[in-house]
Amino acid sequence: MTVLILLIAAGGTVATGFLIAFVWAVRSGQFDDTGTPAVRMLLDGRPRADNEANERINTLG
Amino acid sequence: MDVAATDSYPPQSTALCRHCSEPCETGSIASADGKFCCTGCEAVFNLLHQAGLSAFYTCDVNPGTSQKRDSAPDARRFAVLDDTGVADRLVTSPAPGLARVSLSVPSIHCSSCIWLLEQLWRFDGGIVRSEVDLFRRTVQIDFRRNETTLRRIAETLAAIGYEPSLSLEDAPAATPAGRRRLHLQIGIAGFAFGNIMLFSIPRYANGGPLDPTFERVFELLNVALATPVLFFSAAPYFQTAWHAVRRRSMAIEVPVAIGLAALYLRSIFDIGTGRGEGFFDSFAGLVFFLLIGRLLQHKVFDSIAFDRTYRSFLPLSVRVRRGMGLELTPLERLTRGDSIEVRPGEVVPADAELLSIHGLIDYAFVTGEQVPLAVHQGETVRAGGRVTTDVLHLRLTTDVSHSHLASLWNNPIFSKPKSRWLTVVGARFGTWFTVGAIGLAAAGAVAWWPDASASVNVATAVLIIACPCALTLSAPITLGVTMGLLAKRGLYLKHPAVALDLSRIDTIAFDKTGTLTAGHARQIVETAGLSRHSCRLAKALASRSTHPVSRAIASGFEQVGIDDSGPMQVVGLNEEPGAGISGWVNGVPVAIGTRAFATSRASRTRSGPDDRTFVRVGSENGWVRLSSVIRPGVEAAAQTLAGSHSIWLLSGDHDGERTRWLDVFGPRMRFRQTPHDKLAFIRAAKAAGSHVLMIGDGLNDSGALAAADVGITVSDDTACIVPACDAVVAGDRVAALPTFVRYARRAKSVVFLCFFVSVLYNAIGLTLALTGALTPLASAVLMPLSSLTIVGLSWGAMHWSATRMLPS
Repeated sequence: MTVLILLIAAGGTVATGFLIAFVWAVRSGQFDDTGTPAVRMLLDGRPRADNEANERINTLG
Repeated sequence: MDVAATDSYPPQSTALCRHCSEPCETGSIASADGKFCCTGCEAVFNLLHQAGLSAFYTCDVNPGTSQKRDSAPDARRFAVLDDTGVADRLVTSPAPGLARVSLSVPSIHCSSCIWLLEQLWRFDGGIVRSEVDLFRRTVQIDFRRNETTLRRIAETLAAIGYEPSLSLEDAPAATPAGRRRLHLQIGIAGFAFGNIMLFSIPRYANGGPLDPTFERVFELLNVALATPVLFFSAAPYFQTAWHAVRRRSMAIEVPVAIGLAALYLRSIFDIGTGRGEGFFDSFAGLVFFLLIGRLLQHKVFDSIAFDRTYRSFLPLSVRVRRGMGLELTPLERLTRGDSIEVRPGEVVPADAELLSIHGLIDYAFVTGEQVPLAVHQGETVRAGGRVTTDVLHLRLTTDVSHSHLASLWNNPIFSKPKSRWLTVVGARFGTWFTVGAIGLAAAGAVAWWPDASASVNVATAVLIIACPCALTLSAPITLGVTMGLLAKRGLYLKHPAVALDLSRIDTIAFDKTGTLTAGHARQIVETAGLSRHSCRLAKALASRSTHPVSRAIASGFEQVGIDDSGPMQVVGLNEEPGAGISGWVNGVPVAIGTRAFATSRASRTRSGPDDRTFVRVGSENGWVRLSSVIRPGVEAAAQTLAGSHSIWLLSGDHDGERTRWLDVFGPRMRFRQTPHDKLAFIRAAKAAGSHVLMIGDGLNDSGALAAADVGITVSDDTACIVPACDAVVAGDRVAALPTFVRYARRAKSVVFLCFFVSVLYNAIGLTLALTGALTPLASAVLMPLSSLTIVGLSWGAMHWSATRMLPS
């Protein structure tokens, strides 16, 4: 039955991983605006703009 | 889709502006691209067209906002942003060479706005990234410091029709830290709640004792999980309770904090002495549910900016005369004696003496008076007045913070937080609960004495179960849901507790201008003594002026089908502030203005209403009567409210419209009310025991709004908020006020229903606690169950009522 302890430890590690991911998500501002992305994703692709924008983001990164 | 049909729309008769889709009236522009209501709209359209961003008009319905202005805005109005002191307060630096600014843009409203504003880099190469927050109406922009400036960005935004609203007063925090903290608190509490439940289930399900090793491991894990919940997630409750205790006052948080502390300490004690597994699952669950109630409250706060002061009405910077030139100076560096220049459309920042010969000042903002006031050289211009016609030179006679306007602000009414009924009731129940719970716990302990262990057991169990958690949940959840549903329908409450105050209102005081009537727009209600031809000539003259009365006359004549197309030659135009406008139209002398200005002596005897504007065309003498446009449905709404409430009209305007409101308000009307009069009226009504709702707009009502039990501001633009109010209602939703009040009453009933249910649960729990039968299992079932019942009941009841009662 002591194998259960091992399982709990494994489960706990996974759960802690998700908790850390959540804390990171909140801290990095992913919960700051929960409304706009829902609208933004409905906008049609930006013709001609996509590549340009990506280039700019890449040069920034 | 039939493209040809789309192209021919709109029909010629009611041409709509290509940019803002508003009907084109006088002075509209026809170009190859279509009709525009004003040059501003045309400029924006052309700019977008050139940038290849015409898809802006297809992303969403009517994305453009009208660019019509009373006067051309000052092209150098953003020059103050070149001042490093000002820029540094707005800009943060996320990386070297990069700057980040978050600008509030009130006209953001649809997906087209997002689409366009997130491609700002097309207009300015220095902009790296721009991101729109649709609900807070802000755009966050990252730019390279060496390639562009804050000023140029602001000018770009203004050029494409998204004028940023700059105010250092509420420099927008890039990220609301409090919200992030609450999200973390909920996350931690939820995480702990779920895991503790998981570790407790084997124990409950097993029936008998577990393997001692497992028991120990589970207990330690539970302690490890519950401790951050106590110190991090539940911290707001302990802080509020501690503040209340220190101020020797009472809040509903006090018994909650006692209950939570009892739960935690008893659990630690049980585990430490090996007596049992403790109540950690109930503990984490309660904190989790309580925080969800808090989250609901936060949701609505973001969509609207409250708590602005009079300074947010003032310009960011003022042109001060220094030596020979003018220097743009930030507001806070203005001092008495400065000689300043104020352009049309701008607001005078402090009380000042007029140096120019004469000028017209519009005090609608401050007093509600609709007609601009003429001032002459040497006379005083009060802070908050808007310059209407010419550039004026003024010498400041006070500091910004000591003007007459600011003195209204220094009234203690603005600094003292309002007493909310919920707080009062909460404190009363808090006292009652704390005393009752402690008394009952002591009685229980005495009853089980001398069995010390059973005594402690019963006493802590009573404290745990008496924790009015379901009760504290019922108000925030019900009122939070109410707040959210009302916001969707155009009434934005500042705090959930406002809904309860709204339900207790028995007296309602209305402001007139901008509240019952739509903004400052006016229409012609009566015309006399003028032939159709004369009207044409008068309209031609009036459309040459930007004075509000002239504009109302021009558009009023247009509405009744008077057409001044055809050749109209206006010469010798003369506008005399405070008197009127005169000139020659097609060789005929025309004058519009006051009786003395625009009437020949012979016809002075003709009597009529006071609020006439006189028109003389050649030898014809006549007049028009202008009246503000009543918001549709408002009269009926006021009449409905009159059935259940005592309603009053408090207007800063003259009593020219008394007869128009007689049917609705009867004798309960007061005109020419100063801001202090309105404040005094509200105070007197409150002193007489009434619960007063004040509904108004503009600074002139702010004192009354602050003094009233509930102060509602009417705003046609939710980004521009009058301070000191408790709620904001969208201009087109004023007519729904009776339903809002009824809905608030429903919310109150639901809170009481939830209260009854939670008392029922507490009674069951207390019975168990006093008989010593409150096991961790019973608690783990009872407490989340009661919380869930309350959440479900209040959420369901408010949503059901909303669909039945409120306009969609």
